Amino acid sequence: MAVIRDPMPAFELFQPTSVEDAQALLRRYGAGAWVLAGGLDSFDWLKDRIKRPEAVVDLSGIPELRGVRARGDGLEIGAMTTLTEVVRHGVVRERYALLLDAAEAAASPQIRNQGTLGGNVSQDTRCWYYRAGWPCYRAGGNICYADTPESINREHAILGADRCVAVNPSDTAPALIALDAQMVIRAANGGERVVAAEDYFVGPGKDITRMTVLQPGDLLTAIRLPGAWAGARFYFEKVRDRQVWDFALVSVASAMVVGAGGAIERMRLAVNGVAARPLRLQAVEDLVRGRPANEATAAVAANLAIAGAQPLRFNAYKVPLMRNLVKRAIRGVEATTWAS
Amino acid sequence: MAERLIGRNYTPPDLVAKVTGRARYAEDFRADGMLFTKLLLSPMPHARVRRIDASAALAMPGVKAVLTADDLPDLGGGERALTNEPVYAGEPILAVAAVDELTAAEAIERIEVDLEPLPFVTDPLDSLRPGGPNARLEGNAWGAPLPGGQGPGAPAPLVTLKWTPQDFAEADMGRLPMGKPLEEWAYGDLDGGFAGAALVLDETFVVQSTCHHPMETRSAMAYWQNGKLFIHASTQSVAQTRGNIARWVGMSPSDVMLICEYTGGGFGSKGGGAVSSVIPAFLSRKANAPVMMRITREEESYIGRARTNMTGRARIGFAKDGRITALDLYIVQDCGAYGPLGDHRSAGLAASLIYQPPAMRWRAVNVITNTPPRSQQRSPGPMQANGIIEPVITKAARQLGVDQVQIRRMNSPEGKAAFGPAAGPGGQRAHVTSAFIKQALDRGAAQFDWEARKARAGQRQGSKIRGVGVAVGPHGAGSIGFDSIMTIRPDGRLYVQSGVGNLGTHSVIDLARVAADVLDMPWDKVEVIWGDTGKHLPWTCMSVGSQTTHAMTRANHAGAMDTRRKLQEIAARDLGGSPDDYDIGGERVYRRGAPGRGLSYAQAARRAIELGGKYDGHAVPEDINPMTKESAASLVGLGLMGIAKDNYPRDGVTYSFVVGFAEVEVDIETGKTTLIDYLGVGDVGTVINPRSLLAQIKGGSCLGIAHALFQKAVVDPRYGVTLGDRFHYSKPLSILDVPASMKADALDIADPETPVGARGVGEPPVGAGYGAVLNAIADAVGEDVFRRAPVTADIVLTSLENGRRMHDPLRAHV
Amino acid sequence: MSYSRRNFIKGVIAGGAVATSAGYLFRGSGPLFGQTSAPGSVERLVTLNVNGQTRRVDVLKQETLAMTLRYKLGLTGTKLGCDRAECGACTVLVDDVPRYSCSVLTHTVRGGRIVTIEGLARANGALHPVQQAVVDEQGFQCAFCLPGFVMAAVGFLKTNATPTREQLAHGISGNLCRCQDYDKILTSLMRGAEYLRRSTT
Repeated sequence: MAVIRDPMPAFELFQPTSVEDAQALLRRYGAGAWVLAGGLDSFDWLKDRIKRPEAVVDLSGIPELRGVRARGDGLEIGAMTTLTEVVRHGVVRERYALLLDAAEAAASPQIRNQGTLGGNVSQDTRCWYYRAGWPCYRAGGNICYADTPESINREHAILGADRCVAVNPSDTAPALIALDAQMVIRAANGGERVVAAEDYFVGPGKDITRMTVLQPGDLLTAIRLPGAWAGARFYFEKVRDRQVWDFALVSVASAMVVGAGGAIERMRLAVNGVAARPLRLQAVEDLVRGRPANEATAAVAANLAIAGAQPLRFNAYKVPLMRNLVKRAIRGVEATTWAS
Repeated sequence: MAERLIGRNYTPPDLVAKVTGRARYAEDFRADGMLFTKLLLSPMPHARVRRIDASAALAMPGVKAVLTADDLPDLGGGERALTNEPVYAGEPILAVAAVDELTAAEAIERIEVDLEPLPFVTDPLDSLRPGGPNARLEGNAWGAPLPGGQGPGAPAPLVTLKWTPQDFAEADMGRLPMGKPLEEWAYGDLDGGFAGAALVLDETFVVQSTCHHPMETRSAMAYWQNGKLFIHASTQSVAQTRGNIARWVGMSPSDVMLICEYTGGGFGSKGGGAVSSVIPAFLSRKANAPVMMRITREEESYIGRARTNMTGRARIGFAKDGRITALDLYIVQDCGAYGPLGDHRSAGLAASLIYQPPAMRWRAVNVITNTPPRSQQRSPGPMQANGIIEPVITKAARQLGVDQVQIRRMNSPEGKAAFGPAAGPGGQRAHVTSAFIKQALDRGAAQFDWEARKARAGQRQGSKIRGVGVAVGPHGAGSIGFDSIMTIRPDGRLYVQSGVGNLGTHSVIDLARVAADVLDMPWDKVEVIWGDTGKHLPWTCMSVGSQTTHAMTRANHAGAMDTRRKLQEIAARDLGGSPDDYDIGGERVYRRGAPGRGLSYAQAARRAIELGGKYDGHAVPEDINPMTKESAASLVGLGLMGIAKDNYPRDGVTYSFVVGFAEVEVDIETGKTTLIDYLGVGDVGTVINPRSLLAQIKGGSCLGIAHALFQKAVVDPRYGVTLGDRFHYSKPLSILDVPASMKADALDIADPETPVGARGVGEPPVGAGYGAVLNAIADAVGEDVFRRAPVTADIVLTSLENGRRMHDPLRAHV
Repeated sequence: MSYSRRNFIKGVIAGGAVATSAGYLFRGSGPLFGQTSAPGSVERLVTLNVNGQTRRVDVLKQETLAMTLRYKLGLTGTKLGCDRAECGACTVLVDDVPRYSCSVLTHTVRGGRIVTIEGLARANGALHPVQQAVVDEQGFQCAFCLPGFVMAAVGFLKTNATPTREQLAHGISGNLCRCQDYDKILTSLMRGAEYLRRSTT
């Protein structure tokens, strides 16, 4: 409960035109620096007057961070490419429709016109206690307000909780994990490292104040989609209350290659909305290999998926919801034929 | 003859301003030297301000004034714009005026407020438990209203009410405890009704609270000039808000100049304006400069009003054929931190009306909690009654094997149906002016293809199950006794003064079409004057509770008839004969049988000015409201004045009805409900403006649909803080949550008790949409899956998964 | 005020569900306010292209486009409904793309072509086809959301001139209406698409 919010506190604004310049600014301002991509997550923090950076570094003027380009047998997408640009890209539509579906499920058209792929995967959690500025574990305190007997935690985690029970809100994150995307990171010292999408996200056990592996001064510059999963059988579903501008209660994304005999040759599968980071379900992937993509396989795999789930007071539904979405990713959804 | 305007679509004169962005709402006004204000909101749900130190803030460059509750007049214990005893988290404690918002916000961060925490409670049942906290120092519930009715004039006393542990014995099983009520009425043989019933059901339902969230928040801008207050504020009633502002500021209404040509929605939250709007008025006086107060969406979540949530328990007896034999209704209403509100009473009366039980008892307690203040929200009460009772009717129909439309049809009121207790002066029950619900059900069932849809309901394809639902949304639909002023001026045009708020219903303009029809005036010769108390407006009903179309078509009919009579009198005076020898038409008053002998309206207007007296407003009727008299005085001598109070008789209480039909598809693997199709059919009297009327039916239904599906307000009970302060938390309906085409229709049967035949329409579709969708979900997945709304995916999925209802049965604000 | 919030919450924890009677103090904790200046930062005086006109404006670093339009350029047709990128009332076009102007820093669109609701009609007052359709179909009620819806629709129709009702609904789904006859809004904007096609052929 804020005593006062709005408007944004004053800050210095920088609009560098190269990654090097941006990182120089980040070095100069250190903890006082704030990286601005599309800004949809950032402006909440700033307008709520909870985060008060000294300097905001706007990445929108850096050409090398934008655009979709071919790379080997796959694609490289600049981190500052908007979700709309991703969705409209011919190769994405043709070969990586999983990412298209996920990006299209994000927020609203205007947000997709401005929000970037890099920003979408790097955004902070929407736990309403944390976002209201309450001094919880994630904010550097020593309590989780969402995990008490009275907390209203319908949207919170059922897996991987460690003091904090917030979930990752990104729609594209599970799709990128399913596509085995690689995240290209320019470190503060200028060095580049490439991290698998599933390792890009961190849970509270590893770092309770961060959602990703990005350290201060690091920039996510690009996301690479390998050719290995292009054109696979994809499944994406996001269950949410409202059909626009709502975060996932649970989402699932998968890529599957089925052999001539109908058996699953290989599969990658990830869920989001259930833990502080999107979860790749490797055990499920292993289990389904060689089995037919049918109800029986789906049922066994889905039960494995939810092993260890620990619901809170108001989110027990996420266990069957995650189970059923995993099932659907494996065996698909029957079309209906109602008259209208 | 000009074409009759009533019942025809037209282009309201404000539309071009709206589509070009020229329409100015309160926050669109600017003034030289305008300051900005920010509010300091209470972080605690209940506290006492012990000390405020604003010295550091006042020392900042650019800070012009600080306003606290000490600067405001006492309002007899009622809610004020600022407080020294915040009773909900988010209640404004003080306001700062500064040269810009940033400075004001930073000033607030430098103010020290020493708060003493006080006990608080957010759930009404917690407050009723033995030893439970009281939301206010004075008590935890509103007593029965004092004689003289409800409203600000006669506040009920706050009392302390605690129930016994025995009362709560069944609470854990999801049954609403029914301890000592504070209000009740009954009629008929309740015990006999239950004894003779073939089926008796007893169910509890939790109807949620939601913030009104009009698109325009309650921003306001104010300045003073020559002792008068000029205030740009957002209101549903220009005429009635002026007096409220005057009262809140402590000044004469005639010195308040309220400007509100455009209101960005209200839905009951801006009925008589907003008490917060006086903050810029006081700050402006203190700082001697115009002050703009932009209310943020987050602030609107706290101070912007919300629907009363109700936990209701309905015990209903049914005969074998589905006829209701008895209804025993208990309601625990949550009024938030202020009040009292009467939604629970309206709910009881509505239940009695639309289900027509031969015997009924209504009991209620009206609890206060430390949650944001409530006000009437579109269908206040009847909509909640739909939520509490519809699932029971649905369940009974299923158990008795009766069709869902038929069970509602057989129990619905007809004609001048009686309802409520025998509370009339002679011990008689109230009755409605008219009701044609059975026709609406029949027409709707045919248009919706009910039988075909019913046939596939309950069938499963893959993980999807379809369900159909129907519900009747009722609501009081019109008041009486308001005033009208209009003038025909020497330019030959008709000027109609309208005190109605321009909140998008178009009734602000529609009412003038009644006058134009009576006077046979072409529409392009009619000017409607609205939106500014400086423009001399008549005493007008508030545009709340579906009142306006009924009340103001009556008033304007009366005013137009007065105008017509005066035209006839002037003609007779100048041209001989008696007034009754004269007729009107073609913008002339002429001798019947000799159309050449007459006066044009323009000539008559000039003659009226020459004659003076009652003809040009020098003399006005005794029975009109003082505000109307004051306005008439300013319009004297401009032309022929028609001025009258609506004194038309009315036998009965005016109610309108909308029948909602919904088909949904529930995905039982996700719990998610999708609305497939919707139809609303109105029994709302004569149609004045068809396109606008159907928009009311569809829009109101959508509000109910959102309540059925996901809209809510969430409060953390431990800290007493609202969590749903963002749209993606509170979840107002989006365009993708309804089908790309929705349907609406109206019977267009005139109400016999009002001269134009029109009743109001704004409220009844809300309960229709709410009930129809709840019923459709129940039809698809079983009526025992949920006993609270909204029926979100988690509720459906968890219940189906466990084979029984799993949700928290009684907790509010989840 | 973060200290205050923390104190309050801690106080509640210490005292149980019912707050203790012990008082505690709120104390502001805001940093120094005002504009800092640092080398390499953007200039405050910027040139904007709004509705075809070039405007020189003094813009704060943290200023949003909506505030610049409404409070510096007098273009109050762009409404603020939530100021949090959730309702769409503030939608304007930047280089033909619908954006939430409440969540765009003005400095980031210096080079862009900005069009607001005031910039749709022709200089002679003739309404844009989508505006005309909204008038003809009486598309909106209170109309506070109208400018944002119209701008979103105009932007969307630049990418799909012949949408189905469902497609157009998706295109304008980033806009909220609380009067909520979305059916009529959609009908009026479909009519707008039709007028637009007619006007450009």
